[in-house]
Amino acid sequence: MTANDSTTTGQAAPGESDAVVMRGVSKWYGDFQVLTDIDLNVRRGERVVICGPSGSGKSTLIRCINRLEEHQQGDIIVDGVALTDDLRSVDRVRREVGMVFQQFNLFPHLTVLENCVLAPMRVRGASRRAAEEQALALLARVRIPEQAGKYPGQLSGGQQQRVAIARALCMNPRIMLFDEPTSALDPEMVKEVLDVMVELAGDGMTMLCVTHEMGFARRIADRVIFMDGGQIVEQADPEAFFTAPKHARTQAFLSQVLGER
Amino acid sequence: MASFLALMLEYWPQVLSGLGNTLLLAAVISVTGLAGGVVVFYLAISGGPLRRRLTEGYISFFIGTPLIVLLFLMYYGLPQWGLKLTPFTVAVIGFTLNVAAYNARYLMTAFRGLDPDELQAARAQGFSDLQVFQLVILPQVMRLSVPALTNQVILNLKDSSIAFLIQYAEFFAQMQDLAIRSFRFLDAYLVAGAVYLALVSVVVVAARWLERRYVLPGVRRAR
Repeated sequence: MTANDSTTTGQAAPGESDAVVMRGVSKWYGDFQVLTDIDLNVRRGERVVICGPSGSGKSTLIRCINRLEEHQQGDIIVDGVALTDDLRSVDRVRREVGMVFQQFNLFPHLTVLENCVLAPMRVRGASRRAAEEQALALLARVRIPEQAGKYPGQLSGGQQQRVAIARALCMNPRIMLFDEPTSALDPEMVKEVLDVMVELAGDGMTMLCVTHEMGFARRIADRVIFMDGGQIVEQADPEAFFTAPKHARTQAFLSQVLGER
Repeated sequence: MASFLALMLEYWPQVLSGLGNTLLLAAVISVTGLAGGVVVFYLAISGGPLRRRLTEGYISFFIGTPLIVLLFLMYYGLPQWGLKLTPFTVAVIGFTLNVAAYNARYLMTAFRGLDPDELQAARAQGFSDLQVFQLVILPQVMRLSVPALTNQVILNLKDSSIAFLIQYAEFFAQMQDLAIRSFRFLDAYLVAGAVYLALVSVVVVAARWLERRYVLPGVRRAR
């Protein structure tokens, strides 16, 4: 099913400023095409928000970036590494790309601190002391240092998601992927998570974020991408995107998500 | 009963060595059976469809075959091919193959209850498949399986008496010997039953302790 490895090697020469390059990426689940000919360049330090109706392929798209999903056609180059069937390229990319999920996905059998130090110690080979020091600093940054000894099941959803962000940051990623990070949260907890993400954006982290939080998109995004039916329908800076969407499908989507506010 | 207990005292070294052999066999097969179960479980969930079918076949075969057949096959059958094994060796091999199959099945059942997204999150952090197994899957699956796995230890303790039938001088074999010497069959089997019950009680207490120890704070379960 994967026919891309022979074609990538020759042309893996993205510009120095590109964090993610996708060229002609397509993906199928059986007969169903989830991604169609995606072209996307994300510059270093750029903050991209991806929105679209459910089933539009937006989650699949960002999951292709760290190869949680395999693409079947086209090239994906992340931080200068072309993603192929070669496991080493996948490992290299995953070390540099942090990801935050809708359902937090913390390890329930480990404390907050252990969740944070596991990958730095076992994947990067950091010492326990250095890893814990950094983890505690990052937990302070997401404003839950006092929860370090607790288990995920003892925390609220908002707290768990902030731990998940800290856990991803502990690997010192160059790129952060967010897959609907606030969709599973109670309304009163959305803000505490978005605040952390806004702060992160302010620090110049390269971010790709799938979200329905349009206020957040407007505030931090350099670019908003609208997907529908597995394609990028429209992309623009937030100002243009929200005030003057060009495509009819974008307009329909925006009136739906913004209409009720 | 009193005279039978007196007889037991008289043959105390024999009774004691039987007890020791029972505990030794139960302990060894509990350890090897668990280790084997973990290996089979890993092979079952980590490979492609062929390996999955092979491990599934292994599990079904050993769960589906009476242990006594396996033990007799090795102890009384293999010498026909010139392969003579001691009772202890046969018991350890036979029980390990059998117990590993059961333990693997328990672990796989618990594995199906894990959240697949959590395993994806682990892979996204750069862990290798073996690390995901070691650091994320196994610790959780073992916790969830504590009741089943400790139950298996109880079964091992009781079922080790089957090794009596391949000349392994374990506790039940000694009691049988005393019963024949004294013709006090009723007393002998009552005492044997009581001793097994006492041994099992110790395991039950240890199992409860393990269960409590490995409860995860904040994780809710039906009770």
